[in-house]
Amino acid sequence: MAQNAVARELLPALRRRIAAIEDRPPERFTVAAGQSACPASGGTDARAGTVLLRQGGMPAIAAGPAPVAANRNATVADVVATGAAGFDRALGGGLARAALCEIHGLQARDAGAVTGFALALASLARRSQAGAGAAPLLWVGAADLAGEAGFPHAPAIEALFGIPDHALLFARARRPLDALWIAGEAAGLAALAAVIVEIRGDPASLDLTATRRLQRRARAAGRPVFLLRLSAAPAPTAAPVRFRVAAAHARPREIFGRPLPGSLGMPAFAVTIDKCRANPGRQFMLEWNTDEHRLHPRQPQDPVAVVPVSADRQDHAPAPRPVVARRPGDRRQAG
Amino acid sequence: MRQRLGRSWRADPATAARRADHPPLAVSHDDRNARRIAALCERAAGLGLKRGMGLTDARAMYPALEFVEADIDADRRLIAGLADWCDRYTPLVALDGGDGLYLDITGCTHLFGGEERLMADLLGRLFDQGFDIRAGLASTPGMAWAAARHLAPAGGKGGIIAPGREAEALAPLALGALRLGAEIVTRLESVGLRTVGTILHAPRAPLARRYGRQLLDRLDQALGRLDEPLSPRLAVAALSVERRLAEPVSRTEDIERLTGLLCATLKTHLEQRGEGARALELALFRVDGAVQRIAIGLSRPARDPPVIERLFAERLTALAEAIDTGYGYEVVRLSVLAAAAFDDRQGDLAGDGLARHEDLARLVDRLNARLGRATIFQPVAQQSHIPERTVGAVAFVGLVADEAVRETGSSPEPAIVAPRPIRLFKRPEPVEAVAEVPEGPPVTFRWRRALHRVVAAEGPERIEPEWWREEDGKPRDYYRIEDEAGRRYWLYRQGLYSAAAADLPRWFMHGIFA
Repeated sequence: MAQNAVARELLPALRRRIAAIEDRPPERFTVAAGQSACPASGGTDARAGTVLLRQGGMPAIAAGPAPVAANRNATVADVVATGAAGFDRALGGGLARAALCEIHGLQARDAGAVTGFALALASLARRSQAGAGAAPLLWVGAADLAGEAGFPHAPAIEALFGIPDHALLFARARRPLDALWIAGEAAGLAALAAVIVEIRGDPASLDLTATRRLQRRARAAGRPVFLLRLSAAPAPTAAPVRFRVAAAHARPREIFGRPLPGSLGMPAFAVTIDKCRANPGRQFMLEWNTDEHRLHPRQPQDPVAVVPVSADRQDHAPAPRPVVARRPGDRRQAG
Repeated sequence: MRQRLGRSWRADPATAARRADHPPLAVSHDDRNARRIAALCERAAGLGLKRGMGLTDARAMYPALEFVEADIDADRRLIAGLADWCDRYTPLVALDGGDGLYLDITGCTHLFGGEERLMADLLGRLFDQGFDIRAGLASTPGMAWAAARHLAPAGGKGGIIAPGREAEALAPLALGALRLGAEIVTRLESVGLRTVGTILHAPRAPLARRYGRQLLDRLDQALGRLDEPLSPRLAVAALSVERRLAEPVSRTEDIERLTGLLCATLKTHLEQRGEGARALELALFRVDGAVQRIAIGLSRPARDPPVIERLFAERLTALAEAIDTGYGYEVVRLSVLAAAAFDDRQGDLAGDGLARHEDLARLVDRLNARLGRATIFQPVAQQSHIPERTVGAVAFVGLVADEAVRETGSSPEPAIVAPRPIRLFKRPEPVEAVAEVPEGPPVTFRWRRALHRVVAAEGPERIEPEWWREEDGKPRDYYRIEDEAGRRYWLYRQGLYSAAAADLPRWFMHGIFA
């Protein structure tokens, strides 16, 4: 018990120091009424049914029926629900509305997945803002914006993410330093729904100071900033959240409730939460529903089954045998 | 030349005698297939050489004469720089050929303490800069021209011709003082008319009949009977404020602060006119005579000093390397190049909507000031179905406030049936693809030296070329393709397989899907 008490004192003290270093207001722990909680272990323990909200834009754990507002700054409206419940829970209620969010793609050819995921989050954030009818999205890139990964294509952005072309702004700078300057200037504006900054590689100008500036501006303006980093190594960052996004196999389109073989359905992403206050390291398979404009967890499905067996070799699929009964745990052999 | 003769080799008669260390100097140029003398130094002139004389003759007379090739571009640059410098006296500065300037000082003289003082100031400063100039001041450009070129002694002023005394001043001058063509002058001289006085009171009709209108027009212009407009080099600013400094400044912060002060003065005047500035120019007059101009544009009219000052600060930061402050600036002038009606709009109680639009407009201005025009742009739909031509870009000028206007104003959206990639390559990149059947989707393809195995393919979607744009375009068959890692691409096969098979269809990568 004594040890527990020490831990109870020590942990908040450490958190306060970290908050001071990271230039955030100190966190507060709120326990939902009628629920017992142990704040010291709250950081990792979600099973206890604790409702634990943190300030600084990054709530940690919000397990339970509904998150309870801790104070003025950490209200429910501070996060945007993405639609995928597990993903939201892992992020602590949803995507922070006023924060910098880094999205990494390991290779240049992951640009599609990274772009798609960033636009999905930006679209969610944009629609959740009050009176966001005309609020535009600013896309900032360096000189190679159109080069290696191709230029963001406005008709597709409108069709997939519901952001019309008159709500899209592009800014192109010559150097990454200028791109970051533009992003810093734009991040402080409430007139923009979100700012997406695309930086390729690891320029020297993109350091901890630069990300901290973006994070502070984003928090002050209450608007999200997405930092897309393609073919870059994860480096220390001031962003509270960092995702690593790779492409995932798309499920076939469904027609009359049955998958249509040989078709490619909605965009799918394999998202790893690289950095997060609550529980980093978890991976999610997410799918963007282009009709409802929401993220869904992708149905657990054997990825091989997505592909018709005959796609790359001769059709030698065995005739389906009628399965009469199956032992629990014997699924693989039976299928 | 400068290195050899020293920086100050202007030969005014007093020093020329002492400094006889350099040979007579002439500048030569090509004129009607002959090399002729374009300009001379005083020593050369003292030897009896003249402008327009053949180079060979001059050389025969004085073998020691030194020649320099005329550099017309440099001359033009010099006179333009001088015209810029003269901006400090009046905004109306016009060029007169390659070697003269007209300054329309109407209404500007009181700033310098009268005509006499202005001219003395101008001559003194130019003399200090090393120019040998002649000046004349009169009510008409023609008379001033004559006064400067025919009345003025070397290195001095041609005096001020009072209004109404033009005829008196012109009478003793040679006909060349009327800015006439050489041919007319020769013809007049051949009949014994050598001075302006001889034609001043001559009957006009016979003169006009024999020598053309130009003669009388020039005469009337010089006498002020005919109005003669000057065309200034630079557009005259609607408003401008300037500040003359006792001590030159060179630090960027000082310039910014000065700009702020000038803006504050400008604001009251703009308010009186009910206008806001759309384009501004900051002219920095350097101590050594160079003038630097820094222009900014605004996407919506503004007159708030902090806004304008900040834009200039961005521009100055961007130009930090390009600007040479030298020994500092002595005059700083801020001019409004373009102004527009500034409507004071009433915001709502929360003051949100308008402020946001304003913020965005200011951001655009800052970006354009610092990083150049068209840094920020917007996609617009184009009338084309070829994927790379469906979207164009226009510079962003500000949000359309009324959503309804945009809705009615925009062209009907083309219905997209097939999905389009989220990132599109401006130029499709060639790939090596292997297909099972000639007209089917690829099985493997090599793009950017990496081999991709196709696990799923959707298509084809055929896009025909625009026959009205290109004669022999080939149809494209587009496939959506997913590789082993789950990445989705947009590939197309250009051309058709045919019996002729002169050129086989080729595969291209055109985009990446989300």
